[in-house]
Amino acid sequence: MNKLTHLDARGQARMVDVSEKKVTARTATASARVRMSAATLQHIVEGTHAKGDVLATARIAGIQAAKRTPDLIPLCHPLMLSKVTVDLIPDASLPGVLVEATCKLAGQTGVEMEALTAASVAALTLYDMCKAVDKGMVIEDIKVLEKTGGKSGDWTYESMQHADSKPVVETKTAVGPQLQVRFFAELREALSEDELSVELGEGEETTVAALIEQIKAKGEPWATVLNRPNLLVAVNREMSHPDSVVRFGDEVAFFPPVTGG
Amino acid sequence: MMNQVRVQTENFNLGLEVDSLTAGRTDIGAVTSFVGYVRDFNERPEVEALTLEHYPGMTEAQLMQIADEADQRWPLQGMRIVHRVGRLEPGDQIVLVVVASAHRQAAFEACHFVMDYLKTRAPFWKKEHTASGDYWVSARDSDSHAAKRWEKK
Repeated sequence: MNKLTHLDARGQARMVDVSEKKVTARTATASARVRMSAATLQHIVEGTHAKGDVLATARIAGIQAAKRTPDLIPLCHPLMLSKVTVDLIPDASLPGVLVEATCKLAGQTGVEMEALTAASVAALTLYDMCKAVDKGMVIEDIKVLEKTGGKSGDWTYESMQHADSKPVVETKTAVGPQLQVRFFAELREALSEDELSVELGEGEETTVAALIEQIKAKGEPWATVLNRPNLLVAVNREMSHPDSVVRFGDEVAFFPPVTGG
Repeated sequence: MMNQVRVQTENFNLGLEVDSLTAGRTDIGAVTSFVGYVRDFNERPEVEALTLEHYPGMTEAQLMQIADEADQRWPLQGMRIVHRVGRLEPGDQIVLVVVASAHRQAAFEACHFVMDYLKTRAPFWKKEHTASGDYWVSARDSDSHAAKRWEKK
């Protein structure tokens, strides 16, 4: 669970293959904060800064940066962004500027890296525009505020903060399905799915045979595929059998007899 | 680490693999190798290409386990197992096993053993593309029989 998908089985960096993932509408919003002196903020707000319109420049820089994200982050996919917005909100209570960047697309992978990059570069540009008058500015609190769409569903920074305050056990349960079932080769094709999440609470256990029955109860094409003769199964990447026990957090894989070499 | 396994889309070079296994070593008396190639005929004639799928993580672990098992059976000085995945065409190299030992008999037998076990235990699947359509290659009984020969009595 919660594997680092940018690392392969040998711990080497890889770009994740998203070609099988569904195209969904995805958005992500990220934020950053630039703290500065009250005088600097006043210059920005009044538009009296020597380098010109600081906020407009930072906004364009953020949008441009979102489009260049895959050039900067090594394993990030190039995306066809459908919308990028960068808002810069002066906040006298900091004093400073809040940056919020939102990226949108219909695609196969999330856009949080684009939103983070936009927010970061807009903040850097604020620094660059104002450094002559205020070298002590601080860029801080760069984070993803929320993301929607995709397999992992909607997520907000706020909800995670709440989840963190609960006891560990409850947090884990709140993460959702805790048994990952994978399908390979002919099975994957017959199902048009390469994985399936099955609910299994922490501390619960089942057997491979019971899991097969549970999945078959979903109807076709699952029943036919799991009725195949010579169905092989691995639990946590070890060859297993129908009696093998499956626990919370395990990865179960079904596949046909192997034909390598 | 004397044993190394790799799963990759890129081609491999037998000479380089042997050199890397034997470099700086004077205890090796024998190196055997096996290279498998894509044939243009299999279950159907006119195989135009094949696509190899694997189970990342498990495949490497299984190959390492096969190498370990060979180590327990024969006195070996190192192994390389390289298997390609993705799309391959007839004539392409597909799998490589290199085994080093002090003596030839262990090297020959271990190489044979590793290939027989790889065929039946490592999670790779081949889909062949032919003039008459695509199909997943089915497992052969002859491969299971070949692997069974090594089972301890």
